[in-house]
Amino acid sequence: MSTLKHKGKGPQSLTANLLREGLNVWLTPEFEWSHDFNEALLSEDSDIIEKMQAIGGRDSDANLVVGVYFIDVDIETGLPARYRERFRVNGPSYDTAFELKNTERKE
Amino acid sequence: MYRYDEFDHDIVQSRVKQFRGQVERRLSGAISENEFKPLRLMNGLYLQLHAYMLRVAVPYGTLNAKQMRQLAMIADKYDRGYGHITTRQNIQFNWPELMDVPDILQDLADVEMHAFQTSGNCIRNVTSDPYAGATDEEIEDPRPTAELLRQWSTMHPEFTYLPRKFKIAVTASKTDRAVIRAHDIGLEIVRNEKGEIGYHVIVGGGLGRTPIIGVTLRAFLPRAELLPFLEATMRVYNRSGRRDNKYKARIKILVQETGIETFSKQVEAEYARLVPSEIAVTEAEVKRITDYFKGPDFEIINDGDVAYQAALETDKDFAFWVDNNVAAHKVSGYAIANISLKVSGRAPGDIASGQMRAIADLADAYSFGEIRTTHQQNLILPHVKKSDLPALFQGLKSENLAGGNIGLITDIICCPGMDFCALATARSIPLSQAITERFDDPVRQRAIGDMQIKISGCINACGHHHVGHIGILGLEKAGVEFYQIKIGGDASEDAAIGDVTGPGFSYDETVDAIERLVDYYIGIKCEGERFIDSYRRLGMTPFKEVLYGG
Repeated sequence: MSTLKHKGKGPQSLTANLLREGLNVWLTPEFEWSHDFNEALLSEDSDIIEKMQAIGGRDSDANLVVGVYFIDVDIETGLPARYRERFRVNGPSYDTAFELKNTERKE
Repeated sequence: MYRYDEFDHDIVQSRVKQFRGQVERRLSGAISENEFKPLRLMNGLYLQLHAYMLRVAVPYGTLNAKQMRQLAMIADKYDRGYGHITTRQNIQFNWPELMDVPDILQDLADVEMHAFQTSGNCIRNVTSDPYAGATDEEIEDPRPTAELLRQWSTMHPEFTYLPRKFKIAVTASKTDRAVIRAHDIGLEIVRNEKGEIGYHVIVGGGLGRTPIIGVTLRAFLPRAELLPFLEATMRVYNRSGRRDNKYKARIKILVQETGIETFSKQVEAEYARLVPSEIAVTEAEVKRITDYFKGPDFEIINDGDVAYQAALETDKDFAFWVDNNVAAHKVSGYAIANISLKVSGRAPGDIASGQMRAIADLADAYSFGEIRTTHQQNLILPHVKKSDLPALFQGLKSENLAGGNIGLITDIICCPGMDFCALATARSIPLSQAITERFDDPVRQRAIGDMQIKISGCINACGHHHVGHIGILGLEKAGVEFYQIKIGGDASEDAAIGDVTGPGFSYDETVDAIERLVDYYIGIKCEGERFIDSYRRLGMTPFKEVLYGG
């Protein structure tokens, strides 16, 4: 965890947090960062993984992102293999902010 | 309430300025994340599972209405419109952005608040009895002691890089509402046989992955010796506490590995080497601090307010709320009003900004502007005239804060769990909501009586599951959450660590399992017996059979 070095198995995705906002992001095929995991670049190709690693390092050095690391992706579901990472993709299953937003909408 | 002096103002303001500079240097790349991380943690700023989280200190759980309004403003301006009361009486915001944090700290400083020592391996924000200064059970108000400790520990150069975090709680009542036996140091203000006031010093308690109930280090410590003696204790810990393994670095492990007798001798030897007068504060300084906590000017009123009695007789909901949520006050005609933040469908301890403002207004109208936070993740208005209770109840009702469930099965302590926390292994909030829904009927809740369910989303035990009458620990295996159940824990003055019942349950099975335990207890309980009493009388076997079958 929290290591840029790729050590995983199968398809990989590169994730981080935006330094300024703090929110989760994943690296896209355009080598940009997206809040949406559906837009994430998933790859098993060692050359691409090497490039992803380089981009992660570059953007970390450029103070755009923080805590860059690779995650394993389940080949069948296309979702992160680890439970924790699936949670990061989906966001909280509950947030009082959702309830407050719904109340605002009703009003 | 304590008011900042010039010294406090200077410290807080200079820290804001310092942190603003640190953030600027981080954003410009002048310092790396590795350099920045300990600095942000010293200001209560974590990077959690989805975003930054800022934990704001509420020293000994005491807030005024102005501070509560400022917290509401912060929730709206910089966060997502709500805050979360923690199990150490603090408040945290789940979604701040890094660039805003210096401004948030400035807004906090403007109302004499900060985020010092809410993270990091230092002496953390000191907690206390939320009934302090209001209950007739106490020997004296414990907050002057907590404030003295706050001043002593704030940026203490020797104790800023301890082997691990260090938590102190203070109480002055036999009834323990601060879980002092589960703290690194618990202080109970006591009288000796001569009638002198001093401290029962308890050391080495804690929850986490190695739950331990603290043991007595000194049965009676004279008041004047408090700071020197604690300094000696901290020095022994700082010198001998393990730094090679963070899981064995808390003082509880040192006390266990050393043995309390040897540890005590080490502390006394260190104490003998100190010059107490160089550390202890003068009586005049103690008096200066104590004077801030003299309390409001209570009116002289008799206890038999006619309108209040009439409301009790005619409004069943109000009577129910009073029965569960209102506690005796030391002054005749007044009461302590507990406000439940365990609202059906909401995360335990969460409070919306609008509710914060409403509480501030109610505190101004009915409680001399004073508010308390509790480690049970609720709020308290500590000084309410009984004659004002019906109006307070109506005010709370209109904010959906009039739940009469304090101390009942739905008054669940719950950590943020996997929904927010980077360390969590399973969700805890949805489970607490599911239990609350299952036991939603107030009549059923009352029939069950005093019941403390506590849920943690990982072994770090922020949800205090070890000391729950029923404790639930969320874990994960192969991508599936499961929940281990403990019973027999107790957070009170009869503190105990619960016993694991057996294999864990799936998320879907857990609420049914809890219900089986509760229904069994209802069937076998003796008159006046709480769940925890039944467990102590009968032991694990029958409860285990109920959970897992014969």
